[in-house]
Amino acid sequence: MRRRIGGLLFACFCAGQLTLQAQDFKLFGREVEIHGFASQGFVYTNTNNWLTMNTSQGSGAFTDFGFNVSTNVTDKLRVGAQFYDRNLGHIGQYHPSLDWAVADYRFKSWFGVRGGKVKIARGLFNDSQDLDFLYTFALLPQSIYPTDIRDATIANLGGNIYGGVSLGRNLGAIAYTAYAGHRSDSMYSGFEYLASQYEIYYSRYGGLQYGGDLRWNTPLKGLLLGASRMNEDVTGKAKFINSLNPGAGLVPETERSKADWTNQFYGEYTVGKLRIDSEYRRFLHDQHYQVLGIAALTNITDVRGWYVSGAYRVMKRLALGSYYSRYTITSVAGGPLAVLFPEQTDTSLPANHIYDKVITARVDLKKFCYVKVEGHFMNGYGNSTYPDGFYPPQVHPLGFNANTNTQGFNPNTNALVVKTGVNF
Amino acid sequence: MKCPKVLLVAAGLIIFAAVNSLAADVKVIANWSVKADTISAGELRRVFLKEKISLADGTHVEPVLEKNGPVHEAFLQEYLGMSEDDLQTYYRTLVFTGRGSMPKAFGSDAEVVAYVARTRGAIGYVSSAASAQGVKTLAIGVPSSSAVRNLITRVEPDYPETLKRLNICGTVRLRVSISAKGNVEAVEILGGNPILGESATFAVKKWVYAAGRSRTIAEVSISFGGH
Repeated sequence: MRRRIGGLLFACFCAGQLTLQAQDFKLFGREVEIHGFASQGFVYTNTNNWLTMNTSQGSGAFTDFGFNVSTNVTDKLRVGAQFYDRNLGHIGQYHPSLDWAVADYRFKSWFGVRGGKVKIARGLFNDSQDLDFLYTFALLPQSIYPTDIRDATIANLGGNIYGGVSLGRNLGAIAYTAYAGHRSDSMYSGFEYLASQYEIYYSRYGGLQYGGDLRWNTPLKGLLLGASRMNEDVTGKAKFINSLNPGAGLVPETERSKADWTNQFYGEYTVGKLRIDSEYRRFLHDQHYQVLGIAALTNITDVRGWYVSGAYRVMKRLALGSYYSRYTITSVAGGPLAVLFPEQTDTSLPANHIYDKVITARVDLKKFCYVKVEGHFMNGYGNSTYPDGFYPPQVHPLGFNANTNTQGFNPNTNALVVKTGVNF
Repeated sequence: MKCPKVLLVAAGLIIFAAVNSLAADVKVIANWSVKADTISAGELRRVFLKEKISLADGTHVEPVLEKNGPVHEAFLQEYLGMSEDDLQTYYRTLVFTGRGSMPKAFGSDAEVVAYVARTRGAIGYVSSAASAQGVKTLAIGVPSSSAVRNLITRVEPDYPETLKRLNICGTVRLRVSISAKGNVEAVEILGGNPILGESATFAVKKWVYAAGRSRTIAEVSISFGGH
């Protein structure tokens, strides 16, 4: 772990003496661009383990990297793909994924079509949330962009239409995206990891996702406002150990969402070297589970989160930032197995919220190499049937997932995050 | 004793104005395939943010940047309202999310001019003092309402030999009031070297635009020197 961080810092130091730049070459007369990035983090918490890492001991299991290749086939047609891989504690585990792979045809400035595995436009940063080098913060506000379940919303297999229209000098411009596609979660994602803590072992989890994003560049210079909506129809297939009858062993379980939607509203204001962002998100997830063909459980999860962040570039190589992120979750279960999932409705309890105060410093060693140091001061641990960073100990360990918080949770967690990365 | 001091101060001011205009003045250039002679500041911004891939007349356009330097910084500040860091972050977001590619960027005015000259639809910017051989210079106009008014008759301003010799050059920005019939009714100097402003105003008053539905206001930039 320390060797990895040391290695990346050393690479940064060396890169300081070099010039790291995007590569391009010609193929069949067309210019092909290659870009890439890598980041390595270290997280230490004074108490609860966080993001499936053993952070109370200090953990460097926080690595990701990717590269993309793209070319403009014609003035209007562009194709490209990006590979992505990561390890975040027990998530990812270095199983590479196709982050996006698109053919993009732009008929007009106001109308274009993309198809393939397409990133989802939702809020300010959904489609770019894992591109660490773009942000002042080492971790984006987890109330809106939970890194442990990025797979669920970052891209889907389908298509979108998009475009932008100027509304005239006094009204600004709008940009829209509408999409539909199939979500297919990695079996190494946070949701699957959390489910395994409850003895649910997925073989498939995903389904239809459709929605849109509308953003308005207002006439007030630097002010952007937007709204996003996503609907989902998620199905899952798993094997399950019924804690009420563990002797039956693994039994098949299927599930389907009855209602599954997200509303997100956001604003961004940039003036000079100061950037202020704010977002609100509500996510409702009403999932129905069947065990051996019998309705066994319904679970309605209602997640609400918002944050306000500010980042200021103090000098060319130094930016400072801070945010306040507020996350609440309620969960109500019904059916014969509801006894396993106690009702959670009081959001004032630490089990049902996470309030996170954050301060950050980012130092750009070169244009393509940086180091971030970030402090998180969290109240609450939001332990529920939906992932939110803090994971409970496994109910009946089967041996392939380590327990993360065997001693239970403390209400307050302070975390130090150090992250470094390169991009070209 | 007073007279030489006044002259010295005046000379200093002229040199300062000239140096200042050299440091910050930018002209927008385009490949000859771009049909428009004028582009609005809003359109220019959207072209460089890759939100717009063609102009109102249907011409495909591709932005071309300078890598750094005062001209680059002046362009970013004047037309994009962004810092270099913000712009790079913006382009990287496009590249790494599959929504776009990096625009071409070059290290000097000459390289930008050469690339724009040989690339269909290319739009770039260079110092107003740079040679614009093989490319066309676009006027920056800001329509007050509907579409940009097409310029039918353009009269080039007089560039006095004295000013050329003194290397007093730069860009003058004017606000032009155009009647519905297309005549220039009034001209107001918004920026640039006032010594050049008078000549620019005199020429622009003779311009004729296409007839429109109503009176419109446009912003026009006129470059002196470097052609």
